[in-house]
Amino acid sequence: MTALIAIETVVLVLLTIVVTGLLRSHGEILRRLHALGAGLDPDTAEQQPAELRPRGDLPRAGEGLGPAADIAGVGLRDDAVSIPVVGVPHRTLLAFLSSGCLTCRGFWEAFADPRALGLPADVRLVAVTKDAAEESLHALRDVAPPDLAVVMSTAAWEHYTVPGSPYFALVDGTEGRVVGEGTGASWQQVQSLLTHTTGDERAGSRFLNGAADTEARIDRELLVHGILPGDPRLYRAADELDRAH
Amino acid sequence: MARLAAHGVAVDVPRGWEGRILRRAAINPAEQSRTVVHVASFPLPEARGDFGVGVTELMRSGDVFVSLFEYGPESLGQPMFAAQGVPHLTPELFSPRRLQRTLSGQVGCQLFFTANNRPFCLYIVIAGRIHVRTLAAELNAMLQRLDFAA
Repeated sequence: MTALIAIETVVLVLLTIVVTGLLRSHGEILRRLHALGAGLDPDTAEQQPAELRPRGDLPRAGEGLGPAADIAGVGLRDDAVSIPVVGVPHRTLLAFLSSGCLTCRGFWEAFADPRALGLPADVRLVAVTKDAAEESLHALRDVAPPDLAVVMSTAAWEHYTVPGSPYFALVDGTEGRVVGEGTGASWQQVQSLLTHTTGDERAGSRFLNGAADTEARIDRELLVHGILPGDPRLYRAADELDRAH
Repeated sequence: MARLAAHGVAVDVPRGWEGRILRRAAINPAEQSRTVVHVASFPLPEARGDFGVGVTELMRSGDVFVSLFEYGPESLGQPMFAAQGVPHLTPELFSPRRLQRTLSGQVGCQLFFTANNRPFCLYIVIAGRIHVRTLAAELNAMLQRLDFAA
């Protein structure tokens, strides 16, 4: 009987140690998730102040993003991709995302509707993930909207010294440098990066143009020139047009 | 200048230009898709046809779009692909009549050739005839550095 009580006591002590360890581990996970802006309470996440800042306001000592560099890597469908961000007349918002982080999921969903993003007309959005060796290609194919440019490039993460996902860098293509960087828990917070670092919207975007936009623009231009549906000029053959030129 | 290589094709994309080398997913098991190279002096939309549908509508004066489209081995030896090696561009090759989709102000050229025993079509669209001479020279520099694996 004494031996049985002793064994039960030992088992009880061991179980107590295990449960305590599990609780501590759980608490540590929650604390780290909260620090990353992926707390379990969505309301709390929304209320967190944005960490976005114009580049230069609060440089990370010795860890600044440095000059911008073009993005090269592979796409999500077995393609090689090279996207210039330097020496181009527009700005590029680089969204460093992953398929696994909970906060990133909200951004992937937001990017499915480019019109709702409210991006300035001269800003192109490009998502950058790590290489396939560090990412789940299948998961990325599931979450990435089909109209979004996605490049898998760990080299880009290293060049831009990305501390973790999600992270955003706004590159001015004319100046060839990063003009804003930071992270946020929601797209609304990331938008402040743009409003902090830029002025007014510049006209002439071609980054949000889907087929519907293109069709609508062409229709408007035709109407301006008095060409209505059914106009015979719409059906001229290529050689007729060439002669007209 | 960025070196882009995939699917047996390598190209030096000029600085400030965008490039993709892809193979479309096969629609049925019997189909084998071939390599397509897209290079443009402006941002390429993700939804685009092999020969620039969805792309050329976005072009502005001075823009250029290049599509290098590989055909299957059944095309080898066909008269249309008799030219050997990457063609050299000259301004007179460009005409609105050679566009697959005629858009005002655009000119294009379409050339078929065989390189390293692989049949290709090189299709180029330039927005603004005034830019043809300058861009043809720039394109020739790029085309000279194209590499094809067997």
